[in-house]
Amino acid sequence: MSEQKQPDQSRRDFLTKGATAAAGLSIAPGVLLFGAVNARPADQAVTDQVRWGMLVDTNKCANGCDACVTACKKENGWGEQSGDESHSNELQKSQWIRKVELRHKQTGFAHSLPMMCQHCEHPPCADVCPTGASFKRADGIVLVDKHICIGCRFCMMACPYKARSFVHEELTHQRPNAPRGKGTVEACTMCVGRVDAGLRPACVESCPSQAILFGDLKDPNSEISKTVAKYASTAIRPDLGLNPGVRYQGI
Amino acid sequence: MAMNGLARLLRLAAGAALVLTLSAPASAVPLPEIPEAKGEHCVEDPAVMRKKHMDYLKHQRDETMHQGIRTTKYSLKQCLECHAPVKESGQAVAQEESGHFCKNCHVYAGVKIDCFECHATRPEGNANFHPMVTPGGVSLNKARDDSGALLNRVAAAHSEQAGANQ
Repeated sequence: MSEQKQPDQSRRDFLTKGATAAAGLSIAPGVLLFGAVNARPADQAVTDQVRWGMLVDTNKCANGCDACVTACKKENGWGEQSGDESHSNELQKSQWIRKVELRHKQTGFAHSLPMMCQHCEHPPCADVCPTGASFKRADGIVLVDKHICIGCRFCMMACPYKARSFVHEELTHQRPNAPRGKGTVEACTMCVGRVDAGLRPACVESCPSQAILFGDLKDPNSEISKTVAKYASTAIRPDLGLNPGVRYQGI
Repeated sequence: MAMNGLARLLRLAAGAALVLTLSAPASAVPLPEIPEAKGEHCVEDPAVMRKKHMDYLKHQRDETMHQGIRTTKYSLKQCLECHAPVKESGQAVAQEESGHFCKNCHVYAGVKIDCFECHATRPEGNANFHPMVTPGGVSLNKARDDSGALLNRVAAAHSEQAGANQ
């Protein structure tokens, strides 16, 4: 996807600097305070100047809490709230995000973490997709283009994180921001519509203990970059060399 | 015997004439009913839209999906914003109900429409955010005629909740 059409960067830089001068509140030289993540203009394509990522602090993630899962269901219209998939069993139903409970065998220490698409830098799902429906957007978000997905489910087999689901039944009453349909594979989209609008993903917003940090891993001044630079964090199965955009602390 | 035969023939002829009158309207298929849209004009000339809307949608779909370009001019969401008629309940008409802009015309043209196998068939109306026109608010408004019944329902709901909390 690196040969994607990129916008004129010099113009963007100029605009960014202009906006910085006009609206940015400077709290120290080189440090700017903005209310939220800056939204990209709607008519501009995503660039690889940004890589969206998440950092989950499993020390803060409470056992038994599934606020992130509930928020994801509500935002994207999957799960029991959609009222669909009534003929599918629990293993067949869609699952964009799930809570995994961990217990250390020797010490008995138990904690939990949210598990979803890890938005790999080298996504195996995209490697095996025969139609190009699985792809990584320039800003690192891994998506399924359901317009061209043929439902072969190779990606589901390739994903080491068991992050993807297949829709077995006809659905109705989908959310306008999250089209879903029978015969296609789906997974966490990192709430791509919200991210494009300058918002944070629903799971991040909903976490009562602020255990999930969302931001641009390529921006050295973003909170997530500073945190991963300061504290130890790891990817799940780092041995696979996929460099996921979702990292975990405390595991 | 001859009279009987004649009567039968007449009855048959009358029946045939009736069938002919019933089955011969002026035009073969009734034109689709096009619901009124919001706003003054469409994003392009209606004649162009009729011919090319699928191309605009497909082009937009690829740009949005792969490049994150979310301009609204040719987006399916924006089509529905203007073209999905809003019912009395404050919700827009869904595809499975009668009076859906896209479906009405596609049924007439005999062209299968794939968009709505995944996409929402109506916008999530802004009206739903307003407390007075939410489904709950609408039912309350309907109950206003009999304020005693409304009070009873509120009281019942409260006592039910109190019971559940205990």
